[in-house]
Amino acid sequence: MAPKARKTGEPLEAEETLQAVIIADSYEDRFLPFTLERPRCLLTLANTPLIEYTCESLASVGVQEVFVYSGNHTDQVETYLDNSRWTKDTSPFSLEVVRSTSTSVGDAMRDLDQKGFMKGDFICVYGDVIANIPLDAALKAHKARREMSKNAIMTMVLREAGEYHRTKDQHHRRCFVIDPETDRCIHYEQVRPRTSPRLNIPEEVLKDHVEIDMREDLIDCGIDIYTPDALAQWSDSFDWKMPRQDFVHGVLQDFETFGRTIHTHIVNEGYAARVNTLRAYDATTKDVVSRWAFPYCPDTNLLTDQSYQLQKGNVYKEDGVVLARSSTVSRKSVLGRATSIGEGSVITNSIIGRRCVIGRRVRIENAYIWDDARVGDDAVIETAVIANEASVGKKCHIKRGALVSYGVNIAKGVTVEENTRVTKLKRKRGYDNDEVCRGVTDPTIVGEGGEGFQLELDEDEEDVYEAVLAGVQDMDLMVDGDEISDFASGDEEDEYEYSREPTSRSGSFTSIASDESGETKRDMAKFHREASDSIFDGLQRGQDPDHIQLELQAQRLTENAEDSQIRRAVAVAFNRRIANLIEVGRTAKEAVATAIPPNQRLIKACVKEAREQAEFLLFLQTDLVHRAQGSKVLLNVAFVLAGEDMVDGDGLEQWWEDPRSSASAELEKVRAETKPVVDQMGESEDEEEEEESDEE
Amino acid sequence: MVGQTPSLTTFLKSLKQNDIETSIELFISLLKRRQIKNSRPCAIATTHLLLRVVAEPKRKWDAQKLIDRVGHVGRRLVAAQPREMAVGNIVRRVLGVIREVAERDEDSLTDSEFSGSASPITGEFKQRPGLPTRFSEFSPLHGAAAMPHNMHSGRPGTADSMNVEFGGTPQRPGLMSSNASYAGQGPSGTSLFSILQHPQGRSPLATPPTGTQSPAMGPSPSRRTTGGEANEKLDIKAEVIDGIKELQDELDVVDSQIAESALDHIHSNEIVLTHTSSQTVQKFLLTAARKRKFTLFHAEAYPNNHEATHATILNGAQGEEEDSDERWKPLTSLGITVILIPDSAVFALMSRINKVILAPHAVLANGSLLAAAGASTIALAAKTHHVPVVVLSGVYKLSPVYPFDTDELIEYGDPSKVVPFEEAEFMNKVDIVNPLYDWVDCDLVDLYITNLGGHAPSYLYRIVADHYRLEDVDLNAKQDVAVKKG
Repeated sequence: MAPKARKTGEPLEAEETLQAVIIADSYEDRFLPFTLERPRCLLTLANTPLIEYTCESLASVGVQEVFVYSGNHTDQVETYLDNSRWTKDTSPFSLEVVRSTSTSVGDAMRDLDQKGFMKGDFICVYGDVIANIPLDAALKAHKARREMSKNAIMTMVLREAGEYHRTKDQHHRRCFVIDPETDRCIHYEQVRPRTSPRLNIPEEVLKDHVEIDMREDLIDCGIDIYTPDALAQWSDSFDWKMPRQDFVHGVLQDFETFGRTIHTHIVNEGYAARVNTLRAYDATTKDVVSRWAFPYCPDTNLLTDQSYQLQKGNVYKEDGVVLARSSTVSRKSVLGRATSIGEGSVITNSIIGRRCVIGRRVRIENAYIWDDARVGDDAVIETAVIANEASVGKKCHIKRGALVSYGVNIAKGVTVEENTRVTKLKRKRGYDNDEVCRGVTDPTIVGEGGEGFQLELDEDEEDVYEAVLAGVQDMDLMVDGDEISDFASGDEEDEYEYSREPTSRSGSFTSIASDESGETKRDMAKFHREASDSIFDGLQRGQDPDHIQLELQAQRLTENAEDSQIRRAVAVAFNRRIANLIEVGRTAKEAVATAIPPNQRLIKACVKEAREQAEFLLFLQTDLVHRAQGSKVLLNVAFVLAGEDMVDGDGLEQWWEDPRSSASAELEKVRAETKPVVDQMGESEDEEEEEESDEE
Repeated sequence: MVGQTPSLTTFLKSLKQNDIETSIELFISLLKRRQIKNSRPCAIATTHLLLRVVAEPKRKWDAQKLIDRVGHVGRRLVAAQPREMAVGNIVRRVLGVIREVAERDEDSLTDSEFSGSASPITGEFKQRPGLPTRFSEFSPLHGAAAMPHNMHSGRPGTADSMNVEFGGTPQRPGLMSSNASYAGQGPSGTSLFSILQHPQGRSPLATPPTGTQSPAMGPSPSRRTTGGEANEKLDIKAEVIDGIKELQDELDVVDSQIAESALDHIHSNEIVLTHTSSQTVQKFLLTAARKRKFTLFHAEAYPNNHEATHATILNGAQGEEEDSDERWKPLTSLGITVILIPDSAVFALMSRINKVILAPHAVLANGSLLAAAGASTIALAAKTHHVPVVVLSGVYKLSPVYPFDTDELIEYGDPSKVVPFEEAEFMNKVDIVNPLYDWVDCDLVDLYITNLGGHAPSYLYRIVADHYRLEDVDLNAKQDVAVKKG
């Protein structure tokens, strides 16, 4: 039969190799605190590292060459892959881990373009994709389009998923506007949660296309087919970071000029998902365990040393699991090798790794317990993640959404509240690089004798929603309803976290300008981020203030920003600069003295009248709430501003009397120390006036 | 950009270029990913792969080494997808071929060198009685991965004896009379009698644990004449390759051989019911349709096989080539009335049906079978209406596995075939299962037609004994021996 088959295949076609890129770093912080120690792609899903699923998916498509890009934790990724079957001689494809200093997908793509690895069209996936979609059809369609037109530079593979689906990103509703005739994506936008679903479709789109589909029911699992031309696009636009928000958006915007098109391939069979949030982690695990991702189920034993067997009710057990006679393991659970479950314990809908020791009378529901964890007698664990080697003491109660990181020790009888993240390590923010270091144990969280502390969600650029592991729907509502409103709802777009860089504090902005619509808010947030970044950069490098001013002006014009936004950006940038200096070891006074006087022209340019001065101070104040030594900085800044005549008494007074400046206890606290300055200024002003009036 | 999804065809193509280890790994991952599935493709791929393993250039085999090697590869393949029993069957068949070649060789050698008494065949029999103990506890999924198997070896003797009796009784009618003549018979014939022999022949308690005795296949090289050695080794390789090629031929012609008996079973104006898009059944019915007119009810096997079934009815069965578009003529073109029915209608129609024809996924040693989901319903309905059930199966589907736990033999597939993935609300609240196979008990089947002819289900044990060596029944058991020896 073989010779006959050869006749049917096209021998010419077989010459080209199919290449793929795995973006193994997510450049995101959504899996904190777990990703402090391990890259996301090595986190286990149903006891198998995520990258295994990704590699398997690529192998099943017939990929022959794979490049793995990894930014954070490259060593771990490399070590893992070196020991995996993907780098052995028997591997179905050749795999190379590319070291790069990339801090975003964009950087990786540009690096890829520079190195010129890609000979032809290639597949680009993230290191956390699980997919069993046969890509033949997509590749074929892509190729056909390429032959028709050189300008079809990319095909996105999307899975139809209906209006609501647990695996679909409910938060960032991605909308694709597609011409069904050519499968061309003609517009892409993300609808923010709790904003009116409104799309800004350009006029030409409606004019040029007879028929358009607007689809919001698609799972975007990040499987893209690129052409080398697309890489060149990435290189041309050095500030693009994300494949969707920047790349797709940018290319679509420039369609009029360059005529490049992006296409979609919508599949309605097979499984495809990205594990990009904890919620997605939860949903995808459920899919894998209930066999939606067949054949990628635990009992397929993707890793050679696994030996899972399927038992009734989708319970998977590896060899050597020890179950006490009176214990119950009910539906949709996975138990790894050499795990033991004590008398009377009940395990439902949970994943338990290898070598875990679960005590007696424990109740575990919807939880994820990774390898080598210990759970003491009578503990209760609800929808939570317990990471490797963590230990949960007797009679503990781990509530829903709690994340217990590597090696944390929760002492006896402690209750870990909902959505708490307990960790032993924290990230220290440095200027260039963040370092991971041990935090100080907080006994109020882990109890006496425990180890670990609570990791605050200080990632204000991070959407809380993304960081929450929510097992159930009512949970979502809760998060949607109240919690999130405190945080930045007008914040960055989806993957826009500048994960390693402290940036905008737009969270505080919401309280000031909360009457804005979502759409404007987003634009404003974008402007704010860019502007404050560039000012900060300028300050940092000690650029000429005029130069910075010029740049700011240019940004302002492109974004059509208002004056108050500029003030805000300037305020935040200065604060960042000051905070930076303080971190280096200067006192608040020195820092302010270094930062502000040389650049006072910058402030003067945007702060003129008393009203503006008050607003500027308000921005400074709200931003300083989050900063170290905020009150001291504010005092010094106010002093310097007053001394250099950048603000006058009126401005200070207006600010002081503004109800927004004392809206919360924190705000009060920050400004408390500044009172003398205000009083003094007010007095001197009065005196002046008096003097003036006297003279008259 | 090639973008060729791996399949049987690409695998067979790549066999020639890749080295052996890569091919093995490739086959394992194809099995795991279900890119090679169902009995026939699995069997074909396994024969090709083992042919490569045996024919490995620059390797000289002696019998024991070859057995170890094939056994080792076989274990890995079986562990990858234990539910594709055809893989294990082929591995066992190949092992049987090697043993046969070795024995024949041995015979000629010992005949010339030693006279009779210390015949290695008798030696081999001595260690056989232990094996049924594994047989009874053996399950195809057991030890599905490279788990250290030493847990087997330390089994206490009492457990052994229990198992011996258990494993020995149910399927072995007393045929003791022929004991005396076994020495003169061919190896395949003798193995049967050896099974029968042991319960009486030896006290179970006296049975040494299996592992302690090496299978006496490979006589120590010192016993051989130096001159014969080189010759013989070459021979083994060549002979085994011939044996595997014969197996491949068998796979090629198995459907035609089964179809030869079609006219004996399908009579004019009968109403026949079948299920799934099996090639074997299609060929069988096509052969009958050339001579006779009958009516066919075809259950569609929703949701896993209905598309192929519809295509088969409309356009004819797909030919031998998996990827080619070449199709056989549909039955309707030969003037046969074919009525497509949903599986749920089977019971209602059963009273009108004269004969049920099923195609199994695997046939088990006791005469029960695994077939596409829906087969159990059909068989039970047929039983109720006293309609004969005929199963068409190549011998390669016949597995020496005894179904102790039928649940674990059944594979569960992708639930999205039952409830679409988009029905999110529903799938969140309901556990959906999609079993790919049904288990049909042996008393629901009336007749098996294999490429050897027709057999009653209760007779299959005999065919099993003819085709598989007892030593090979439990592939994992071999490892114990190897471990012990090493």
